[in-house]
Amino acid sequence: MKYAILIVLIALLGYNSVYFEKLSDRNSKTSESFDFATYADSLYTQGLLKAETPIAIDQLLVEVKADQNRAFETYGNRLGIGNSAYFMVSVEGTVAEKTDGLLKVRDKSGTVWPVDTEFIFGNAIRDASRLVKLTDFKTNAEFNALSEALNSIIREEAIPEDLEELRQGDEVTVNGAIKLSKNEDLTIRVVPVQIDKP
Amino acid sequence: MKKIKFLLFIILAFGALSCGKKGDDEKPKVAVVISTLNNPWFVVLAEAAAENAQKLGYETKIFDSQNNPATESDNFENLISSGYDAILFNPTDADGSISNILKAKEAGVPVFCMDREVNSNDAATAQILSDNYSGCVEIGIEFVKALGGKGKYVEIIGLVGDNNTWARSGGFHSVVDKFPDLQMVAQQSGDFDRNKAMEVLETIMQANPDIEAVFCGNDAMALGAYQALQAAGKADRVKVFGFDGADEVVEKIDEGKIVATGMQHPLVMAEYAARYADEYFKGKRDFPQRVPVEVELVVKENAERFLKK
Repeated sequence: MKYAILIVLIALLGYNSVYFEKLSDRNSKTSESFDFATYADSLYTQGLLKAETPIAIDQLLVEVKADQNRAFETYGNRLGIGNSAYFMVSVEGTVAEKTDGLLKVRDKSGTVWPVDTEFIFGNAIRDASRLVKLTDFKTNAEFNALSEALNSIIREEAIPEDLEELRQGDEVTVNGAIKLSKNEDLTIRVVPVQIDKP
Repeated sequence: MKKIKFLLFIILAFGALSCGKKGDDEKPKVAVVISTLNNPWFVVLAEAAAENAQKLGYETKIFDSQNNPATESDNFENLISSGYDAILFNPTDADGSISNILKAKEAGVPVFCMDREVNSNDAATAQILSDNYSGCVEIGIEFVKALGGKGKYVEIIGLVGDNNTWARSGGFHSVVDKFPDLQMVAQQSGDFDRNKAMEVLETIMQANPDIEAVFCGNDAMALGAYQALQAAGKADRVKVFGFDGADEVVEKIDEGKIVATGMQHPLVMAEYAARYADEYFKGKRDFPQRVPVEVELVVKENAERFLKK
């Protein structure tokens, strides 16, 4: 009997002295105290949705061609050092095609702009918005966590809702972020913030 | 006799007082403390930092911490007592290195972190860091597209105590985890080391022979993973993704053997760290705490631009 109690005691001590966790969970504990979801929600509703209409995409490209440095400085945002920048733009036109993950919008001039409704990730929207500064957060990890929370709202709630009623031929205005580089011609891909059907 | 003793005392006292102080014409000394010189990427970073500081007219010395926080601590004590005036620093540990930076700060020696971030926003004078997260978001998107959003994969991460490891993994997973048909069968550390990554993948493949892709936290590990796949006759089927922009990996991307990497810019980080130290000596004090440096996606379509001619 006393051996049984001893074994149970050792098993209990052993169980409580060792624990396992995923390597990736280990480092995700730094930001527990800050509510990124609430902050991102207010950034989206009070900041992004209430911001002035951004520059039209075709107009931006004309200005970049005319004076790259000036256009990057006036409309773009690059945190730190690099040759690329994020820009907030608007695209006005009709829906040329709507597939899973992609919306093609044809503007008045006939140019078709791809709006990526699937891969809404990274810092494109956060940085293009120019609403948050790196110094607002203690570490880069926290600054990136804000992007993840903001992207989740847009990718999982706002954009699916906007897309629901949208049909080919509908008139739309898309506000979203694009990335341009001074070094190379990147394929333009609008990461949407809002797809509005007037 | 008394006069000689007094004279000797004056000379010694003067010598002691002037010891550690630099003459007006003596240039400050800059120490370059690097996490490890066993990895060619960090050799480039160290040499570029020293070279840039020398070009600005400073005497430099490179200290190797051998990926060991205790060695790093010894390096700091040595260089502080040897009268170095600034440190261009690549830390071994995001938390463990903070005390070393604070030691230098207390001694009035500014520290400029390069490439690796420490978990403090007021210890270092400035931190010039690769934007690992954004780079790996782009790799994550390429990863999902290359696999058509489904399949089993392995992740080989770097050093567990390094913030870059988690920034890269975090950026990658912020994308990939949203695709439920992508299944990570193993996530293990390869310590940023080519041989270790090769061994790790060989072991993982014994239990998981049907993996379709491997994401590695740096290019040395991507090359190790590729080697393991080659030995297993799977190099054509399993897609490999790296991070760093090593020449050998860029060549393999161009040849279609590796899918993608993130091009970091160690020369830019080294240049800015040396430049900041120079500005500090000239009186500047308001440095941005964190300066991200862009990471560019390298895929087959643009690999030629990054190939060394």
